[in-house]
Amino acid sequence: MSESNETVLVGMSVVIELLLQGEFICRTTHEEAWRALQNPVSRERIEAYLNQINRTVSLAAEGDVFFCGYLQLGDKERKVISGQFKTICNSLTPLVEWLVLVQESSGQDAPLTQGATIRLTELQTRIEDTPAFREQLAKLSHYRLFGSTSSQSDSQLKLIFKRLLELGYLIKPNSEKQIYMATGKLDYLYEVIRFIDETEGLSLEAQAETATQKDLL
Amino acid sequence: MSDNLHQAGVKLLKLLSRHSELIMDVYQQGEISEDSRDLNVLQKLETAGVLWRPEKEQGLRLKGTVRALLEESLSDERHRQIDANIGSAIASIKTLAAHYKEAREQADHSSSEAYLNDLSEHVYRFSDSLRHAIRILWGRINNEFGYVGSINAKIRENELAQSQVTELLNGLSLFQFSELTDIAGDIRELRKLLVINMQETLSDCTQELSVVQARLLELLGRFRHIRGRTRLFKGWLLHASLHPDYRPLDHVAHKQVPILFNQADALLASASVDIYNTSQEPELLDMVARIKSISRLHVEPQALASHAAVLLNDEEDFSIPDNPLKQAVDGYFLSVIDSGKPQSALEYLVEHELSWGHESWLYQVIGGYEALSEEHKAYFELAPIGELDPVYTGNFIIRDVELWLS
Repeated sequence: MSESNETVLVGMSVVIELLLQGEFICRTTHEEAWRALQNPVSRERIEAYLNQINRTVSLAAEGDVFFCGYLQLGDKERKVISGQFKTICNSLTPLVEWLVLVQESSGQDAPLTQGATIRLTELQTRIEDTPAFREQLAKLSHYRLFGSTSSQSDSQLKLIFKRLLELGYLIKPNSEKQIYMATGKLDYLYEVIRFIDETEGLSLEAQAETATQKDLL
Repeated sequence: MSDNLHQAGVKLLKLLSRHSELIMDVYQQGEISEDSRDLNVLQKLETAGVLWRPEKEQGLRLKGTVRALLEESLSDERHRQIDANIGSAIASIKTLAAHYKEAREQADHSSSEAYLNDLSEHVYRFSDSLRHAIRILWGRINNEFGYVGSINAKIRENELAQSQVTELLNGLSLFQFSELTDIAGDIRELRKLLVINMQETLSDCTQELSVVQARLLELLGRFRHIRGRTRLFKGWLLHASLHPDYRPLDHVAHKQVPILFNQADALLASASVDIYNTSQEPELLDMVARIKSISRLHVEPQALASHAAVLLNDEEDFSIPDNPLKQAVDGYFLSVIDSGKPQSALEYLVEHELSWGHESWLYQVIGGYEALSEEHKAYFELAPIGELDPVYTGNFIIRDVELWLS
């Protein structure tokens, strides 16, 4: 009994540490931790711990992603949140351009979601073979988020993937293979855009649909 | 009569088997032009009702019934047609039942038997076509409409399937069991066919169809979700390009911050040991010294843990700068060749004011001579100059060496 209790506690401390490090926890990045947060009992205990230091477990994408938020917002906390919001707003367009490039160059119906794999070498060949994709890549690699100064698509792509790894949008399960996996943070990104779309009444989907219909005509 | 029918059928099937290649070609290509084919054969197939010409100036096509037979037996994925016309099936079943009852009342045994046969055939065919329709629907669901490429086409296919399910369900609701029970009356054969058999089929199929409908809706939802995601991203980019100075509103300025944006700063930075910090060295060493390796499993030492990747690349050119001492020795050899006279190594050293120590100079000269190839060595003679050790016999102390051309 005591032994099982102990493992639970050890598991919990890992989850709390991850949350306090500002990590996004999803099934792809930290499966154990994600499961612990899915479980109401352990989630309660984690929440209780975090509440003591004015933190709480936030979730997005219907519980696919967990992260750490503030329990109560003072001026200091608001400042942090506003900073985070600005950062994410600035990275929306570059990231969306990248997502669309990956989707279109690989000819897929769906954009990347959590758990989807990308083979860098395959993607690279497909992008390099098509001038339009190469141009898109060059354009988006020069955004400040990625900050490439290179004119070679090879190094542009490598830099983008390096940055995406750092930012936690991708993981590389095997350091020796050029295979990447999308994390739940991409689903979070999607959620953010959907939120902005709904609250500001941009009707982005309708805009895209009319645009494609015009293209067809 | 039936003999004739039998023979005609066999003839038709033989015709089909004789021209099976051609028929499969038409099946796959949709139509066939007469140019490349034997006109006689085409004519024969057309009269037999296997091929037909929808319009003048058009190629020949396969008749619907033959196509349906092939589609069904080959479980062709493109098979989309579902016979949802339950109303007419019910009507013909009712009519046949009425014929049977009449013949039975008139005690016309032979025709009543024929009608019963016909009726059974209709009923069984009806249940088979229902089950077949459901099988097709499941096939489409299970490969998620894999036979069409784009998500939009999948959505359209899904909508088609939904409408077919609705039609089937509507058709099934036409069945009034009270009516069928009335028709069957107390005739055992009819009750068995119309009431027991039908009821079983219908309840099975209705149940399955509602599951199919639920799955179709679920799939449709997923397709729409995927399409919505793509559209949302594209719409975002479109919006950004149409309104270059667009910035999202400050959604976190409200009193209630949406939970989505309530993201706390990292409280714990990721930590690692700074092994280059010498001031921490004693503590680190102490920690390392206390680490125990507990290995409960006896692991055989592996001879080759992993294959080191061997890369066969072209070696880049590189050069090792010559040792100046060696160069000086080379100079000494050259001067001997130039002068052609014997020369003492130490004299040369003093003469040229070289900075090497005497002993290392002599070693290098001897080494230089020994390092020459046999062929080159033959041009020179090297003789040590020195004396025997005064105390220990057999030892020769070299004071200098002399080199000359042989």
